[in-house]
Amino acid sequence: MSSPSPTLSRRRLLGLSGASAAVLALGVNAPDVASADPLPHRENLFGLGVASGYPREDGAVLWTRLAPEPLAEDGHGGMPLRSAPVKWEVSETRDFRRIVKRGTALAQPELAHSVHPRVEGLKAATDYFYRFSVGPQKSPVGRFRTLPAAGAATERFTVGMISCQAWYHGHFAAHRHLAQEEDLDLTIFLGDYIYEYGITAANLWRQGAEVTPAHAVEIETLEQYRLRYALTKSDPHLQALHARAAAVAIWDDHEVQNDYVGAASSTGIPAELFAHRIAVAYRAFYENLPVDIDALPQGPESDILAGLEVGSLARITLMDTRQFRDAPPVDEADRVREDRTMLGAAQERWVTERLRTSQSRWNVLAGGVVLAPITDDRTDQWDGYPAARRRLLAEMRRAGNAVMLTGDIHKHVAAELRGEAAGLPAGPAGVELVTTSAASDGDGAKTDKYTPDWVQHDYVRHYDGRRGYLHLRFTPEQLTSSFWIVPWVESDDTAPKELSARFTTPAGTSRLIED
Amino acid sequence: MSKKPQTVTGVATTGAVSRVELTWTPLPWEPLIDHYRVYALPTTGRHAKPDETHLVGKTVYPRFVHHGLDPAGEAFRYVIVAVSDAGRRGRPSSAVVGESQASVTATGRELARIGEFDGKSLELRFSPAEYGQIPKAYPTAVIDYVQGVDTPGEAWPYLLPGPGDAWAGRKTYRTRWTVPLDAAPQRDVDLALWFVDTTRLGGRLDVAVNGQDVRSVELAKGATRGSREGDATLPGSTLVRSGHEFALPAGALTAGENVVEFTLAEGGWVAWDALGLYERRS
Repeated sequence: MSSPSPTLSRRRLLGLSGASAAVLALGVNAPDVASADPLPHRENLFGLGVASGYPREDGAVLWTRLAPEPLAEDGHGGMPLRSAPVKWEVSETRDFRRIVKRGTALAQPELAHSVHPRVEGLKAATDYFYRFSVGPQKSPVGRFRTLPAAGAATERFTVGMISCQAWYHGHFAAHRHLAQEEDLDLTIFLGDYIYEYGITAANLWRQGAEVTPAHAVEIETLEQYRLRYALTKSDPHLQALHARAAAVAIWDDHEVQNDYVGAASSTGIPAELFAHRIAVAYRAFYENLPVDIDALPQGPESDILAGLEVGSLARITLMDTRQFRDAPPVDEADRVREDRTMLGAAQERWVTERLRTSQSRWNVLAGGVVLAPITDDRTDQWDGYPAARRRLLAEMRRAGNAVMLTGDIHKHVAAELRGEAAGLPAGPAGVELVTTSAASDGDGAKTDKYTPDWVQHDYVRHYDGRRGYLHLRFTPEQLTSSFWIVPWVESDDTAPKELSARFTTPAGTSRLIED
Repeated sequence: MSKKPQTVTGVATTGAVSRVELTWTPLPWEPLIDHYRVYALPTTGRHAKPDETHLVGKTVYPRFVHHGLDPAGEAFRYVIVAVSDAGRRGRPSSAVVGESQASVTATGRELARIGEFDGKSLELRFSPAEYGQIPKAYPTAVIDYVQGVDTPGEAWPYLLPGPGDAWAGRKTYRTRWTVPLDAAPQRDVDLALWFVDTTRLGGRLDVAVNGQDVRSVELAKGATRGSREGDATLPGSTLVRSGHEFALPAGALTAGENVVEFTLAEGGWVAWDALGLYERRS
């Protein structure tokens, strides 16, 4: 084996056994296998599309997963159980006449024939195009933009937010519109990229869609998680969104099981057994997203924490609000316990450090569940961890221009974060922008039975229970948040987009001013 | 290519009514195990090798429950095969015999029964998901059912709520099952209680016959899914079935009307599969 890519974390490689380290490395960089046995010809090798992710100022992770039959029920996408070299190339132009980087990775059955090469050595703040090839077959073309150089003045940065992609509840019209946004530098998937539930006549609201009985049961095995990712990623609009811009992703609960907490199942499965399910669920997450190598789990433990530096404009911190949290409170005294944690001690220190050392204009955090105080019984959100919320809000206030991005609730919500609402001295601490689901819960309605719980607070400035996405535009002067909805998702994917609300947050104010 | 998974060892079986629980020693994390395949072979033909016709389930856990076995008791030779992330299969484990216990529903003479012992609650009132109707239909938290007069679909709700159920008012629900008998049973009588699921709270179900306390049943912690799903026999169902069969005290049942009471004293609901009274044949 040749030396692994210099981007591979030595810590990670040293912590793994030899076989695993080799698999891991070759999935990123395998220059010596380009002439390995060619794969027997198969049509549609790139049936799950392409993606890029975790951009830096000099590059990004590229991703594809070979799957000529994406819905093959063994989870291997119709691929033979052998490895295949995959070439990639990056160009400054869409016609690939100015190729600036190329390489080879090995698609291996251990990783469901996914590859995760990280391209490096590119210019900052520059648009690039990429594609893969296997033999004569070429993938669709994707594009990404490298981040601005560290500390560089940056005029603008645009972000799309997507969460809660219950494929069976509706078509991905929201993805279609987000992929067509004029400005889109980064997509953040805020959690529930897949759902684990069985798909039956009772919940298959995506009209015109059919699934085989293999999809009818709750997923538990690796082949089932792989199949569910394949089903979700077979959607052309999701593929188009991934091809449009680089992405980052955090998880919430449904990537494993509804409402699981740390090592604990929500359905009574003993922890020593549930660990095996977590391990395969986290593995499938790695295999199917354009994530960096640190997200490859070791057994039931994984590290999806990541930070992005957008010149001097924004510091983005991606959090894990599922793996390290304390158990749900057993009573009120437990809920308000000072030492309760949502992030775990190590992650909390890391987030605090990033906030305290930031020199960026905007301090952006992304998490799986809502931070703003809503009702004390919403214990799956930060409402179940009020002391931890106080600690985080204090740090957000100290950092200034703090923005929390979340999903989970299947509603668009905009909230001003105020210290007095969370047990801190009065004053602004930031804003929270919650993106609604892309499909979960079907068409929805602007208001619903949950609306009063949210709008009872004067700091909740917007609520919309329909499907959609959020588009953010950061400039040194202000943040503009556009809450887009699509009126329907169940019948087809043709719904137009409608603006539900647009807010301006002038730098230094922590306010949401509706346009 | 990574190595093949190791051969599964440490397979152990525990028989219960209509099911056999299997456990084995979990394999290491490397290579990652996609799933374990569980094969059930006849106990005859000891040298037969497992093929896909013997496959009874796949599981990511080092544990599997083979449900739906003959209530009269059934035995199999079980073999486990591990499948790795790369789709490679390990060698079959050594075969281990497991045998389910006979149920009184097969060995006894039926005196009275509500529902079918079939792993489903579908024939019961409000099944599979209209649990919200129960507190409306039974505002006093008391459910009456008269054998021979009432029918399961009209008078026996599929859930018996408990004090852990906020949706049902956190009340202690009680059912009164009136069972008329022409004559007192001559032999011992067993009560069979089968559930398709319970809640993550577990709980305690108190049983009384004609005013006499006869048993407090400790409820297993379940999947909390039987309130929305009624068929635990579907492949891959996550419902956690449980069953309890025990003898009533001698003379507990008499000629004429008998009242069997169930009180969910602690914890969350039970989702009924079926229940019945059975007189032993000898």
